[in-house]
Amino acid sequence: MSTRHSKAAEAYQQKPEVVEHHDNTFFGVRQKRDRMAQALPEWEDLRNAANQIKRHTITHLADYLEQFEANAIKNGVHVYWAKDADEYNAIVYDILSSHNVRKVVKSKSMLTEECHLNENLEAKGIDVIETDLGERILQMMKLAPSHIVMPALHVHREDIGDTFRKLIPNYDEIVKGYRAVGGSATDENDPTFLTYVARMHLRQQFMEADAGMTGANFGVASTGDVVVCTNEGNADMSTAIPQLHIVSMGIEKLIPDYAAVAVFQRLLARNGTGQETTVYTSHFRGPRPGGEMHIVLVDNGRSSILGNVEHWQTLKCMRCGACMNTCPVYRRSAGYSYTYFIPGPIGINLGMLRNPREYSDNVSACSLCCSCDNVCPVQVDLSSQVYRWRQQLDALGKADAMKKTMSRGMSMLFNHPKLYTSALRLSPIVNWMPGFVVQSSLNPWAYGHQMMKFPKKSFHELWKELRD
Amino acid sequence: MKIGLFVPCYVDALYPEVGVSTYRLLKSLGLDVEYPERQTCCGQPMGNAGFEQMAEPLARKYDELFAPYDYVVAPSASCAAYVRVFHPGLTNKANGSHETHESYESHEPHESHWPHHCAAAAKTMDIVEFLHDVMKVESLPARFPHKVSVHNSCHGVRELGLSSPSERNIPRYNKIIDLLRLVDGIEVVEPERPDECCGFGGMFAVEEQAVSRRMGIDKVKRHIATGAEYVTGPDSSCLMHMQGVAEKEQLPIKFIHVVQILANGL
Amino acid sequence: MSTKDEILQKLRSNTREQYEMPDLSQLTPITFDDPVAEFIRKTTTIAGAKLLEMKADDSLDAVVHKAYPDAKIIASNIPGVKAQLNPDTATVEELEKADVGVIEGKIGVAENACVWIPQAMKERAVCFASEQLVIVVHRDAIVNNMHEAYARIAASQEYFQEYKFGTFISGPSKTADIEGALVYGAQAARGATVVLV
Repeated sequence: MSTRHSKAAEAYQQKPEVVEHHDNTFFGVRQKRDRMAQALPEWEDLRNAANQIKRHTITHLADYLEQFEANAIKNGVHVYWAKDADEYNAIVYDILSSHNVRKVVKSKSMLTEECHLNENLEAKGIDVIETDLGERILQMMKLAPSHIVMPALHVHREDIGDTFRKLIPNYDEIVKGYRAVGGSATDENDPTFLTYVARMHLRQQFMEADAGMTGANFGVASTGDVVVCTNEGNADMSTAIPQLHIVSMGIEKLIPDYAAVAVFQRLLARNGTGQETTVYTSHFRGPRPGGEMHIVLVDNGRSSILGNVEHWQTLKCMRCGACMNTCPVYRRSAGYSYTYFIPGPIGINLGMLRNPREYSDNVSACSLCCSCDNVCPVQVDLSSQVYRWRQQLDALGKADAMKKTMSRGMSMLFNHPKLYTSALRLSPIVNWMPGFVVQSSLNPWAYGHQMMKFPKKSFHELWKELRD
Repeated sequence: MKIGLFVPCYVDALYPEVGVSTYRLLKSLGLDVEYPERQTCCGQPMGNAGFEQMAEPLARKYDELFAPYDYVVAPSASCAAYVRVFHPGLTNKANGSHETHESYESHEPHESHWPHHCAAAAKTMDIVEFLHDVMKVESLPARFPHKVSVHNSCHGVRELGLSSPSERNIPRYNKIIDLLRLVDGIEVVEPERPDECCGFGGMFAVEEQAVSRRMGIDKVKRHIATGAEYVTGPDSSCLMHMQGVAEKEQLPIKFIHVVQILANGL
Repeated sequence: MSTKDEILQKLRSNTREQYEMPDLSQLTPITFDDPVAEFIRKTTTIAGAKLLEMKADDSLDAVVHKAYPDAKIIASNIPGVKAQLNPDTATVEELEKADVGVIEGKIGVAENACVWIPQAMKERAVCFASEQLVIVVHRDAIVNNMHEAYARIAASQEYFQEYKFGTFISGPSKTADIEGALVYGAQAARGATVVLV
């Protein structure tokens, strides 16, 4: 029995040192989150508050969206509504082409990845430059992200260096400039040096860009603000240099007011990277002098999710990544083992909401340990939702045949106590089976385990002796 | 106080001595303990695999079978958790959120008691929490002069509250360790990543066999790193998985259920 | 029906149970016996910035030049700071070349070394494109935590009037995207100095 995830994860296990490194790296982020949690006595109250704020906002979302739009328009912002990815891409292209934009710089946005914005724009001849360092590296190497917050942690510095040397035309000039400012790294694959190279390369992109695009960590209904949090300042560079700013925001990103922003700002970096704050927490309320600001509000399935009794609470998610950092399965299988672009516990659930038949392979990627539920800052019941998706697989035609047969077999035994106790009496036979039978691929347990010895007498049989 | 003893299917088949220790320990506390023999399984293997509807008749049988008791005690954290947390939902699926599938073969007519109150589920406890919270045991005659590393099984921690989850900022506690400390001669330690999953997860161990194995090896190594001779915990399923992995990888450490230590010498 | 109406209608019809907003005044967020000392500590540790203290009648210009003696291009519109570039009149191309940007913060936050910087110049590129950033903030503008900071901003009439932007900045730009190694100076300031008045 296997799924695309389990097969990919098995292939990933072939390099145990890679697994160990990946596991330790992300558990390290989980530990940093733990330190943040321990440092705030009000930590669980903050989680409770965040959960309640989101549940309130999401169940009053239409009202808050109207309030948000009205305020944004008052601030001189253009607001658009997109029901799906196609409409979203069309709106963005329209804004860009009507402003003769040839090059866009953008900061990280999972929404734009969900809607395949980059491919769409590039197909229409608009150059899109990711400015988050990790995303830019992946873009240049034509690799997919492996995590939603730290997407390129699996990429080796040597490969990054080689990519920069291959694709950045003025690489040599940049190196000369590095020496001229007294840069000390002697190794051209040193992360400090590579970051400098990326900085100089991206500076040029910022200066050449005709537009800047950002996502939105939060939209504030009471003021019409869009809040964007980064460590690099790339969202700010993208919007402080080019005059045209386009915000892409999922409708579920709204929160009511500044008192609510405080709760979320305090939780975001602590959960996502284990820092007290992102370096930059920027509030975009309106266009720059002489500039323009546009916000595209995107549904793309969110309003349907709201109607899903078992799964609507995934709308609370703030895309912090804490669930994947704690997930023992994610840490040992990594992003590329999952078939949805978002991995880990939230990815399993969002993938199923996006297209349950397409993404059902990820539902196996969970031991139901419930660690994710306990780290999620907005208390999404992630593991319970995975359990619920498992119950749907059969109806979707996606239940594994062997699992179903085994379950049926067990069900038959357990529903018939006489049959069950007879089976118990016979089970010690397994002890006498030759190793090549027991350890074969027909016995999936034998893959990783030495077969256990069945005791001569089950508890049912021992009971007769005990009670006397 | 009448106690119904629930010995889960795999404990029955593979680790009957855990059931024996549980019975002896409860009797030694002067309790009236019965073992209704028609019991089989709580349904968790099917439920976690996605065939909850197959667990539903088992939940109903469980409720009938254990109706006469004040408490139902099981030496298995994950089974006690499945009964307490999931049985009420299983038997109340007539509210429309459950679809009947052609795949479900009922061997008995499907009774519709709605709403169904799972009385037995509410009274079901794992042996550790029963001893700690209900009997409030303060001394035990047991002696076990060995160093043991505590395996904080996930469902015990996060569904039953046997210990404080490491993810949370709440006062630290551990009911398993509290009880083990009553045992003469014992040295109790916890591994690094004290409540990270061992990778059993029921069908997970066969469906995601490679990751499950990796998780098992990592967990066993962390237990071994404490210098302990034994790994002990409230869940034979975790112990079974880790023992199978340890033996195959030839990692030297022994495994014993917590109740066997607590009942040692009885 | 417009997309907007379609979305709003769908949201309304798909909402079953509604939940109330919690009472956030019940939260007891962390406070410090000496918020200023905590702000200084966090600024120089977790934020990775330098911190200099000066008195109100000291010369900010002198402090800046002493901290950055080799700076050739200083950008600022703060009165008294001798700057080569004024972000009210300079272009972004010019500002991109600034060695040091000197800007004003209005609130400092002890829990995370954030400084609230409302845009007070035509081109905010000075806050991001300058190689080094100097942020001036008054000690009596230091609050304990983000709840207090946001409460002040929400109650204030002075922000977002002329320029519709404000940001919290905590130290210089950073990244750990390459193999998890922490590096300062990703896309924005490579170093920062907070001047506490």
